[in-house]
Amino acid sequence: MNRRLINEVFTIFSSLAALFCLVVLCFLLTVIVSQGFPALSFKFIVSPAKNFGAEGGVLYQLLGSLLLVICAGVISLPIALGVAIYKSEYLQNSRLQLLSHLLLYALNAVPSVVFGIFGLIFFVNILHTGLSWFVGSIILALMILPTITLSCYQSMSSIPHSYRDTAYALGFNNWQTVIQVVLPQGIGGAITGLLMGLTRAIGETAPIMFIATAFSGVTIPQTLNTPVSSLPTHILALTKQATQPQALSNAWGASLVLLTLVLILSISALFSRHYFKLRTQR
Amino acid sequence: MSVCISKIGKAYALSSMIVSIAISLCIFLVLLIYSWDAIIEQGWSLLTIRWHPATGQFGILSMLYGTSIVTLIALVLAVPIGLLTALYIAEILPDQYRIVIKSILELLAGIPSILYGLIGVAFVSTWLEHWLLLSSGRTILTAGFLLAIMILPTLITLAEDAFHNVPDQYRESACGLGLYRHEIILRCVLPMAKPDIVSAILLALGRALGETMAVMLVIGSIDRIPQPVFNLLMPGQTITSKLGREIEEAAFGSLHFSILIFMGFLLMLTVLIVTIVAHHSLSQTERRYE
Repeated sequence: MNRRLINEVFTIFSSLAALFCLVVLCFLLTVIVSQGFPALSFKFIVSPAKNFGAEGGVLYQLLGSLLLVICAGVISLPIALGVAIYKSEYLQNSRLQLLSHLLLYALNAVPSVVFGIFGLIFFVNILHTGLSWFVGSIILALMILPTITLSCYQSMSSIPHSYRDTAYALGFNNWQTVIQVVLPQGIGGAITGLLMGLTRAIGETAPIMFIATAFSGVTIPQTLNTPVSSLPTHILALTKQATQPQALSNAWGASLVLLTLVLILSISALFSRHYFKLRTQR
Repeated sequence: MSVCISKIGKAYALSSMIVSIAISLCIFLVLLIYSWDAIIEQGWSLLTIRWHPATGQFGILSMLYGTSIVTLIALVLAVPIGLLTALYIAEILPDQYRIVIKSILELLAGIPSILYGLIGVAFVSTWLEHWLLLSSGRTILTAGFLLAIMILPTLITLAEDAFHNVPDQYRESACGLGLYRHEIILRCVLPMAKPDIVSAILLALGRALGETMAVMLVIGSIDRIPQPVFNLLMPGQTITSKLGREIEEAAFGSLHFSILIFMGFLLMLTVLIVTIVAHHSLSQTERRYE
C-alpha cells in the first residue's frame, strides 16, 4: 500500500512544483505589464526624457537601444557566417574542430560584466575612444557571436552529405558548393541565431553601462564616438532613484517597452526556427 | 576566375575564424595583464576581509563569500523546484503540451536581468522588509531568491531535455516489471539522466555566478561578511556587484583598478571551468544512448 501512497505523494509534489513555477513566472509578467501599462502612452514613446528621467518619455533610449543592437547584428553576422562556413566546410581535423567548439562555448559563457570591463580597458582606456555607442555595438557583437555561429553551424552540419557529393559531382569547387548548397540551407540557422542573439543583446546592461551610454542629455549620435542612452541603462538609472514615485513609474514604462521588444525578437526567433525546420525537411 | 573567387571565399572564412580566436585570446590576455599588478603586489594578502582602497587594504574575501553564498542560495532554492517541474513536464504532462511549454520557457529565459532587478527593488525587497521586520530589505537572501527565479527557466528546459532524451523503451521495460511511476522515475529515468542533470545544474550555476544587474540592485553592496557567517538577512557584496559599482570610480592603471580586474578575471575563470565541465558531461550522453 505504501508504494501507491508514495506514488500519489510524488505526483502531487511535482504538480505543486510546476504550479509554483507557473505562479512565479505569471507574477513576473503581470507585474511588469500592470505596473508599466499606466505609464505607457503614445506620447511616452515619442517624447524625450526630461528632468533626469522623472518626466517625459523614452524616445532617445528606444532609438539608442535599437541602434546599438542593429549595429551589433550587422557587425556580428558576417563574422559568424564565416566561422560557421569554415568550421563546417574547411576544418577537417577533428581535434581542431573540438577546440573551436570549446572556444565558442567558452566565449558564450563569459559573464556579461566581464565583456564590460574588457571594453573599458581595451577600447576606452587603451584606444582612447571615450564613451562611444559604436564601441558598445562592437562589444555586444562579440557577445552574440557564439550564439549566431553555433546556430548557423548546427543547421549547416545537418545538411546531408549526399547534397555536397552531388555538387562536387557536378564539378563545383569548394566555394561554389558553399554558395549554392550550404548557404541556402544554412541561412535559416543564421537568421534564427541572429534573432536569438539580438534578444540577448537588447536586454543587456552590464556590458554597455561603462562604455557606451550616458544617462541624460543624449540625442541621436552624430559621430561614432558619442554616447547614446539605452533602455536597460535608463531603467537602471531610474531604479537607483527608486524613492521618487514618478521616476519609478517611468522605469516601469520603459521596462514594458523593453519587454515588448524582447518578446517580439524572441517570438520571431521561435517562428523562424520552426519555419526553416519545415523548409529543410521538405 | 572561379578558382580566384573560391580562394577569396576560403580566405574570408579563414579570416573570420582567426578574428574570433583573436578576440577570445585578447579578452583573456587583457584581463590577465591588467590583473597582474594585483597578483604581484598583493599576493596572499588579497585573501583578507578588509576592503579599504584609501589605506591600501584590498581584501577580496567578502566578495568571494558573497558570490558563493548568493549562488548557493539560488541553487538550493531553484534545483529541487526546477527538477520536480521538469519531471512533471517530461513524465506526467501529455506530450502535446510539451512544445508549448518549452516555447514559453524559452521566452521567459530571455527576460532581461535588469527587469528582475527592478522587480526585486520594488517588490521582493520591500516584502522581505515587512515580513521579517528588517531595517532594509536589500540582503543576501533577497539576491539569492531573485537569482533562483532568474535561473529557473534555464534549469527547467535543460533538465526537461535530459529527461526527455531517455529513450521510452527503458520506461516501458520498467513499467512491464510492475513499477509505479515514481519508482520508474527514481530508479530508471533519474540514474540514466544523471550526467545531463549535472550539466544542466552546472550551466545554471554558470549563469548565476556571472549575473550582475539583478544582484547589484538588491544585495545592498556593503563589503563585509555578516556576523555570524550564515546570517543571510544582512547586506553583502558579490564580485559582479562590486565591479558594477566601483569600476568607474577606480583610476585606470591604479592598484585599485587592477584588483577589480583581478576579481573579474577570477570570476571568468570559474565560469569557464564550470561551463567546460558541463559541456564535457553533455557530450558523453550521445554515446550512452546509442
